[in-house]
Amino acid sequence: MGPLIPQEIITGQWDFVIALLIGASFGFILEASGFSSSRNIAGVFYGYNFVVLRVFFTAMIVAMVGLMYFSYFGWIDIDLVFVLPTYLNSMLLGGFIMGLGFVIGGFCPGTSYTAVAIGKIDGIFFAVGTFVGIFIFAEAFPLFEDFYTANDLGPITIGEMLGVSNQIVAFVFSIIAIVAFYVTWLIEKRVRKGMTEYKFE
Amino acid sequence: MNRNYLFLAIAMILLAGGLLLVPERHNYQQIKPEKLMWDITQPTRFVTTDQVAKKIIEGDPTLELIDIRPVKDFEAFSLTNAISIPIDSLMSPNYQGYLGIEDMKVVFYGNDDIKADQAWVIAKRMGYKSIYVMEGGLNCWIKTIIRPVEPEETAPLEDFDLYQFRMGASAYFTGAKVEIPDASKSGVKVVRRKKGAAVAGGC
Repeated sequence: MGPLIPQEIITGQWDFVIALLIGASFGFILEASGFSSSRNIAGVFYGYNFVVLRVFFTAMIVAMVGLMYFSYFGWIDIDLVFVLPTYLNSMLLGGFIMGLGFVIGGFCPGTSYTAVAIGKIDGIFFAVGTFVGIFIFAEAFPLFEDFYTANDLGPITIGEMLGVSNQIVAFVFSIIAIVAFYVTWLIEKRVRKGMTEYKFE
Repeated sequence: MNRNYLFLAIAMILLAGGLLLVPERHNYQQIKPEKLMWDITQPTRFVTTDQVAKKIIEGDPTLELIDIRPVKDFEAFSLTNAISIPIDSLMSPNYQGYLGIEDMKVVFYGNDDIKADQAWVIAKRMGYKSIYVMEGGLNCWIKTIIRPVEPEETAPLEDFDLYQFRMGASAYFTGAKVEIPDASKSGVKVVRRKKGAAVAGGC
């Protein structure tokens, strides 16, 4: 059955409508999870709050396992699902810059907009900064185009790279996620001991 | 730790573990049957031998000729720059790189167009675009391009133009000498008309 647009069940013009609905729900969940507070986000780096890791890891494993079941029931053709091409060098550097932005600014691009939505001044500054960054990147792109496209692995998945099935990857990641939840809970418990603003249950 | 989290974690592990028991589903990509039916009934997939000859002579870089006959036949005779992909190995992964190249027009040909048409259906079902069949195959090629037949005197002018083109193409492909009519040798024929009877009557 799915994906709906590549299978021509609905037309490509629905793209924006679906994006709007998903965007609104995503923003709502981000705000409801407390992501509009830069303290929660930066907490990952100081070890007192791992809510970011938990929310994103949960989203990842639920989507992963869900997609696998959808594929098994024939509700989605997994081969038609778009896989982002992997440019190893630029992704490593991009991840580093993003992490730096996280710890300095206290937001990621998505959460900065939830912060703007509830009227946070730091969020507004961050969001404006995002656009300035995008503009500079776009203008200076020819300078580092070679670096950007270097080490192109194409639309590769972890399963393809390791030669194992996607189901095994999903299972292993679920275990890693749950172990990570437990370990981060232990770290939080230890770090928060000396902090007065957190009461730990 | 909240007990709910523990239950959720166990549920997640069970669900993820369940994935190990289900078989991996393989989706074979094909075009929809309705679309295939529509395309099969269209004559647009056929290209004439003249069109192919013209493209070869012009050196069109977008033309990709695929000979679907057995390799032995291909080695005995083939069109200029053709690639040999026998029809029984068309689906082999080794040959997929030749199909579906952007902006390339793939033309299948065989001795006639029956096998080439079958190759076209296979390639179409695999989802390739810009694929064609040379109408009449090599038999038609020999008949029209290599040994063109002069049209009758009463044939329309277009047939003579086509014949001229085919003669040129024949010379191009066979390396035969072209007979250029020498204008200096051919004498001017004066046609004398017999005087007819004077027009009688009139206004």
